Amino acid sequence: MTQALAADVVMLEARGVNTWYPNGHHALRNVDLTVHQGEVVVIMGPSGSGKSTFLRTFNGLEDFQTGSIIIDGINIGDDLRQRDAIRREVGMVFQQFNLFPHLTVLDNLTLAPVLVRGRAKTQVERQALELLERVGIHEQAHKYPGQLSGGQQQRVAIARSLCMEPRLMLFDEPTSALDPEMVQEVLQVMQELAAGGMTMVVVTHEVRFARQVADRVVLMADGEVLEIAAPEQFFSNPQHPRSQQFLSQIN
Amino acid sequence: MSSSRHQQLPPQEQLSALETLRLACFANPLDGLISLALISAVLAAAWQLLRWALLQAQWGVIAANSTLLALGRYPEPQRWRLWLLLWLLSTVAGLSWGLLRRQSWPRNDLLATAVLTGLTLWAPAAVAQPLAVQAHWWGLTAWLLLLRSSAGAMAARVPPPVLQCWALLWPVVYVSGMGLIAGGLGLVRVPSPLWGGLLLTLIEACFAMLLCLPLGLALALGRSSGLPLLRMGAVAYIEFIRGAPLITLLFLGQNILGFLLPGGLSPDRIWRAAWVLTVFASAYVAEALRAGLAAIPRGQVEAARSLGLNTAQTLSHVVLPQAIKVALPALVGQFISLLQDTTLLSLIGLMELLGTARTVLANPEFLGRNAEVYVVLALLFWCCCAALGLGSRALEVRLNRQRSVAVR
Repeated sequence: MTQALAADVVMLEARGVNTWYPNGHHALRNVDLTVHQGEVVVIMGPSGSGKSTFLRTFNGLEDFQTGSIIIDGINIGDDLRQRDAIRREVGMVFQQFNLFPHLTVLDNLTLAPVLVRGRAKTQVERQALELLERVGIHEQAHKYPGQLSGGQQQRVAIARSLCMEPRLMLFDEPTSALDPEMVQEVLQVMQELAAGGMTMVVVTHEVRFARQVADRVVLMADGEVLEIAAPEQFFSNPQHPRSQQFLSQIN
Repeated sequence: MSSSRHQQLPPQEQLSALETLRLACFANPLDGLISLALISAVLAAAWQLLRWALLQAQWGVIAANSTLLALGRYPEPQRWRLWLLLWLLSTVAGLSWGLLRRQSWPRNDLLATAVLTGLTLWAPAAVAQPLAVQAHWWGLTAWLLLLRSSAGAMAARVPPPVLQCWALLWPVVYVSGMGLIAGGLGLVRVPSPLWGGLLLTLIEACFAMLLCLPLGLALALGRSSGLPLLRMGAVAYIEFIRGAPLITLLFLGQNILGFLLPGGLSPDRIWRAAWVLTVFASAYVAEALRAGLAAIPRGQVEAARSLGLNTAQTLSHVVLPQAIKVALPALVGQFISLLQDTTLLSLIGLMELLGTARTVLANPEFLGRNAEVYVVLALLFWCCCAALGLGSRALEVRLNRQRSVAVR
């Protein structure tokens, strides 16, 4: 997995990012992160540590006040057009799936490519059906999200993001809202995606996924990045005392 | 998932109709007593009403004034235009109905069909219209029902974009209908003081219904906007309008619109009243829509934005379709009270249904026939509101298909 690093193309670079919430809470304190093309980075940490906030700054869902984030050569600034340009290249999968309940599964996938990229609907539909087949739910293409199980909905959400052909995929606790027996089917899809060379940043509590799939694991606490390490080192020999504490709590 | 909700008993224990009735109304002595009291009260009232309607009431006043109540003083030689409008309306209504229900004929539809057919066969004859006019009404109803069933049969093959844009047809129908009613463009002009009765009621109500939706939407969006001035403006408008009784706004409108607009531009009394109704209804529609907008989870907007949709696309493709569905029952309730509020226009001297009825009753020839006239008025309003209610119910059912199974 580390051979992807050899390409050494930087996909995401965050430098000195600081975020204060409107209520004055200092949510992100001087965080840095570099993600290379083809790399899978897993962010872990106790709840309230700012890991979701950090992830959401990467596609402009969350504002930051100082520092810089450059994604695929585009600087996230105050310019709305740049923000839209980044969102076209960055896919995001949410904890609550956030599928559009008034559209069929197929229309959930084709909406953005047709509206945003201006592609022909028939062409997008062909691609969408292929993607649904890849995540194993092409029989459900004409159903509505409300008729699917949670695991199926999350796989549709992943396919929906992939349909925009993103250069970077963000996962915000993708399995936290799922019943235990459905977690594996979603992780399986993510693992295949990583094996296919997708650049991914994943916020999750799934230790096994982090061990098997991640190139690097990031530990965040209280809005700070405390440790960045390869998974084998992170899980067997964590350096920072907060990492040791966190791992002892989740094991 | 089957609708097992309705079968409270295992199938082999199906009860006879009589047994079901006994269980529902006379299961124990107290239930029986309440049921008996209610039944006898209803029977007594129905008996009195029936005795009055059949023996005492003099329905001649309705037959003599049916055209006046329907059209006001719309000139006889131009009435073919209203017939044309009715054919247009029954065409669009029949097609809409069919597209909404497809091939299913639920109980509501059968009931509506039965009532409509009964009314068509009975009402024109009852008010002593000539056979030609009666036949005209039969034709209209037959055409409506024919289109309903054929559009229902073809609905599955109609491309989705046509269905999505179908609602936009109604404003077009309204504008062309007003062209037919008012004249111009080669048609003889019929000035607005000659429009009256049910015709004027519907002109006013439909005008307000069509325009208060976009206006209310703009207000609802303004109220949840990030721009303080826009938000405060929308809040001030909504709170002021909702705090004032409609009748004062109507009187104000008759006086103020004349001052506000330069001389020639001031619309005549009928349109002034229609604008006041619109302004009034839009404040309430804004609140209904705001509730709908608030019901959409934040994640929907975030998902749309992170797929690259811009604000306008997010609103039109993700937020509004869901918000309107939530707001629909409240919106229809608003439309129904709007229709009934048009009766207030009689107080500012417009000859809509109630105003016309009062002129009829002022005629010495029909003195004391109040009950007959007002019963008919109430029934006419009830028919219009029932149609609105049935239509909205059908729309709700269609929009809710995708929510048939709720799994998070």
